Amino acid sequence: MRLRGLSVFWLVLSAWGVPPPEGRQIWSFRPLMKTEPGKTIDSLLASGSAAAAAKLTLMRRAYFDLTGLPPTESEARAFLADRAPDAYARLIERLLASPRYGEHWGRHWLDVARYAESTGADEDHRYPHAWRYRDYVIDAFNRDLPYDQFIREQIAGDLLPAEDGASVNTRGIVATGFLALGPKLIAEQDKVKMFYDIVDEQIDVTGKAFLGLTIACARCHDHKFDPILTTDYYALASIFASTKQLAKLEGTVSELYVSPLVDKPAAEAWLGYKKKVADKQKEIDEVVGRESARYRETVAPRLADYMMAAWEKRSNAAGLDPAVLEKWVKYLEPGQDRRPQLEAFQNATDKAAAARQYQMQFLAAMEARKDKSRKFQAGDDRFYSDVAGGPFGLPKEKRGDEAAKLEAELKKLKDAQPADPPLACGVAEGEQVEQRVFVRGNPESKGEAVSKRFPIVLAGRDQAPITTGSGRRELAEWVASPRNPLTARVMVNRIWQWHFGEGIVKTSSNFGVLGARPTHPELLDFLAAKFIESGWSVKAMHRLIMSSTAYRQHRGNGRRLQVEEMRDALLTIDGSLDPAMGGTTQSGVGTDKEFSDDRKTQDPDRSTRRLVYLPLRRSNLPSLLNLFDFGDATTSCEGRPSSNVAPQALFMMNGPFVEARARGLVARLTGSDAERVEQAHWRVLSRPASASELRDGLNYVAHFPGARELAWTSFARSLMASNEFLYVH
Amino acid sequence: MLPFLSRRAMLRQTACGFGLMGLSGLMAASSGESREPHFTPRAKRVIFLFMHGGPSHMDTFDPKPLLTRDHGKPLPFKRPLTFAEGQTGSLFKSPWEFKQHGQSWLPISELFPWVAKRADDLCVVRSMVGDSVAHGGAVLQLHTGSNTFTRPAMGAWFVYGLGTENRNLPSYITIKPGLSHGGAKNWSSGFLPAQFQGTAIGHGGVSIDELKQPIEHLRNTGLTPVQQRYELDMIQKQNRAHRERFQSDPELDARIQAFELAFRMQAEAPESFDLGRESDATRKLYGMDEAATRDFGWQCLMARRLAERGVRFIQINHEYGPGNEVGWDAHSELIRLHTKTARMVDRPIYGLLTDLKSRGMLDDTLVCWSGEFGRTPISQAGDGRDHNPYGYSMWMAGGGVKAGFAYGATDDYGYYAVENRMHIHDLHATMLHLCGMDHKRLTYFHGGRHHRLTDVAGEVATKVLA
Repeated sequence: MRLRGLSVFWLVLSAWGVPPPEGRQIWSFRPLMKTEPGKTIDSLLASGSAAAAAKLTLMRRAYFDLTGLPPTESEARAFLADRAPDAYARLIERLLASPRYGEHWGRHWLDVARYAESTGADEDHRYPHAWRYRDYVIDAFNRDLPYDQFIREQIAGDLLPAEDGASVNTRGIVATGFLALGPKLIAEQDKVKMFYDIVDEQIDVTGKAFLGLTIACARCHDHKFDPILTTDYYALASIFASTKQLAKLEGTVSELYVSPLVDKPAAEAWLGYKKKVADKQKEIDEVVGRESARYRETVAPRLADYMMAAWEKRSNAAGLDPAVLEKWVKYLEPGQDRRPQLEAFQNATDKAAAARQYQMQFLAAMEARKDKSRKFQAGDDRFYSDVAGGPFGLPKEKRGDEAAKLEAELKKLKDAQPADPPLACGVAEGEQVEQRVFVRGNPESKGEAVSKRFPIVLAGRDQAPITTGSGRRELAEWVASPRNPLTARVMVNRIWQWHFGEGIVKTSSNFGVLGARPTHPELLDFLAAKFIESGWSVKAMHRLIMSSTAYRQHRGNGRRLQVEEMRDALLTIDGSLDPAMGGTTQSGVGTDKEFSDDRKTQDPDRSTRRLVYLPLRRSNLPSLLNLFDFGDATTSCEGRPSSNVAPQALFMMNGPFVEARARGLVARLTGSDAERVEQAHWRVLSRPASASELRDGLNYVAHFPGARELAWTSFARSLMASNEFLYVH
Repeated sequence: MLPFLSRRAMLRQTACGFGLMGLSGLMAASSGESREPHFTPRAKRVIFLFMHGGPSHMDTFDPKPLLTRDHGKPLPFKRPLTFAEGQTGSLFKSPWEFKQHGQSWLPISELFPWVAKRADDLCVVRSMVGDSVAHGGAVLQLHTGSNTFTRPAMGAWFVYGLGTENRNLPSYITIKPGLSHGGAKNWSSGFLPAQFQGTAIGHGGVSIDELKQPIEHLRNTGLTPVQQRYELDMIQKQNRAHRERFQSDPELDARIQAFELAFRMQAEAPESFDLGRESDATRKLYGMDEAATRDFGWQCLMARRLAERGVRFIQINHEYGPGNEVGWDAHSELIRLHTKTARMVDRPIYGLLTDLKSRGMLDDTLVCWSGEFGRTPISQAGDGRDHNPYGYSMWMAGGGVKAGFAYGATDDYGYYAVENRMHIHDLHATMLHLCGMDHKRLTYFHGGRHHRLTDVAGEVATKVLA
């Protein structure tokens, strides 16, 4: 955080004394307005009476809005044929009950939660268990977990009792992935800065996601626009700083924390066993080290002989071990690279004398290294470390009985090792910190002490003190309270936005001074009150919104499908979508080699699972996601833009994925040519073909300048590439 | 705030990144033109040679005789935080000789015999400073100005400011970028609109031989052009009928245009990427006739072709990877690793500078060469050097910089920049200035405030301007 840029304006204001935060209330901090009885979404919108959308248009809208998928041909035909007055209401119930609903709405929330499965920086270390959080979110939407509980679990689920009375609240622990899976720079060497960057990231995501506030702006100075003080920021920082974020902070690369999803004794037993294995390995290393040294002593006096024999390529030198000699030959072979440690030998005219010189140096280095009080490094004598670890390294068969015995014991230990318990990417209670304000965000420059509390402007000065634990539990309760004026407003606005493309407040993660004002404040408060009244039921909000005339009317402006909808819909069209839910398809833990191609996230072209289930590596999102405005999965995302660039057209025209879907669709078409054209329209566009479209389709195939099979594939692709497919109206 | 965002982009600004891949210059018609600069630019385009890993400045462009004299002694002043604490050793002289080159007598070490021939074109900055001692933060800071997260890459800022010259090509291309240390964050548009994102050609660690298409989806493998036109006519017919039904949506029009643009582009763009059209002599100039320099030569020659065709910001990356090992990141075995890595890039860079000059392009092309930091004058692990963001060297050439010139200085040993310090923010400000942009006025409103590439810092180093 650099601070030189405080505006003059702000300095002047500070000098005058800024009014206390309580005096600077903004619209979103006021309690919810009471709505007159009898009001409805439509009366509050006062939107006039546009024509209702056509039945099939509305059906397609409802399918994509709730499940992110189009109807199948038979579902679409059945709905068209259903003339009962409650056909639409039943459709909504059916879609809300479908597991596909949670996959789609869970994905919306994952945007807000900046969900991804790696740290993003350094070597992009994996979060191998983060997928459990993704599955938790999908399940929460499917089971209509009350939103206030959803908040509590994500902030402090590890501190809540398990629903079923179990000793471990596994679901709650998994839910704290919300805090744990943010971007991190774990190879940062300034460990204090690193730790407070993690804390800052959590304040940022928590503030934006639940409260629509950019609290993290107050890290270095009081918020420039909103009445959030630096002391408010550090009071919250104190909560997250008292939370366990890392297994180990120290070290070049800090170690990520994983939460075992078993009770304490089982977790301790697991860790204990792991330590036993590690201890045994250490024992082996010590013995092998000793044996290596002993072996080195025996061969070192013949180093010059080996060197000369190898140089002269003699394979039958007297008294020399042929296997060792072979290694020497290899070592001395000239390569592309410069090896300064061998240059004296390579350049010597009297090789034998040079070899003797190398031997003397080696013996001296070997002697020097017996001094355990000194620390030696590989490059202190590169020749020594090359040879000791190479040609003169201890051959496996000479490791001795003790090492063999220990290795057998290790194998036994490993064979009997219980499987890892299920693990989660979560947080836990940490050591309690005495937090001070960091003046201008600099941890070196400590200001006044702050105790754990919530921003004064919202929670007042008279707050119950937080005396035990990190305070996350209290924070969760305060955020999830019906009295918090922001929480319900922010969420109903998000739900509205995900239905209509735009929120009542256009800046759905910024309800502060610089955010937009609500276009319909009364409507926003009406929805927020209904939301709380319904027991924070998200599904109840869908019913309320989708039954309004406003939702059901004809829409000129469509919304482009988001990338998941587009791809998953294409897989639905050719019948290849795999409905399997949950789990991970990412293997391995830790990181890849720095230059590894494996770092690439799994290619969505090669999977038929829903896109929400594919792993997300922050450093290398699949190009498909980048192409269609997925975002960067690094900061909380309030909404996806809808860009229009030619490469998107290239994806449709030339991409192998679209071509495969087109072929797949053609393979499923049956009957006469006319019937096939008709089916293709139903499958891609969820409607019958008009008479002229039917004629065009038949003409297209008949006059295609190429083979008939190709003609059909091309025709299918033309429907998939059309705007009508890509937009929902 | 510059005036050249399209109306739609203005409307669509949101709080998340916009995505990273794509032929970014190819937006709908409104954003295609070049923009008005803040003042007369000296450079029209930038070619940035990124030396991932951090080349040692004491061994390349910043001779340190006192380091040679005091070799083996302890560092006589307080050592700052290093990356590998606990492996540090004593002062470690450069194993390479420096000679003065050209009419400018610019000292360059024997690691760069070819680049040394172009000494009179170089403006060496010996006083670079960054804030991060680890690659993760340092690479991000060089590329985005921020050593934490989610800022647009410098290339995105440049094309946001400069606009595009060729609508059939992306205006920002990065050639073989690495996937570690931020990966795609280093060429992302961050919160800038997606059209400004970098387009990657291949990536680090993967040989040019394995590159099937320079850009994804540029070629249709199943249809002839005639068949594809036939199909496209059908798509457009459907699109027009669809638009008739929803007349109020201009986005649908724009998408119809985008298909035509894509169709033209796939016919015209491949020529730009086809190095087969270059003569043997040119390929040789870039070292493409030798195994060690072939890949980097290919990257440099590709950069020149793209520069000729109006691409505004081109980054050439020397990456870690198979055959490159850890590249410049010589924590140990400095001699072996730097010899090898310098050899890979030396002749191709000479070829690039020479070729640009002979085509009259060096005057309005700003070429930059830099790592994410330099290396320590004290040894690490006996025969290597650790990361050093406190003082290091980079150089610029062409594009309005003083040629045959050395700017700034580090201390006697090369640890800290002490004279005319040039922070990464200052470098960004200076580069923007050379391209006719005021870094304080090139802003974008996002998340509640106006952002700049240089955040709240940055000063133009006026002494390096020709």
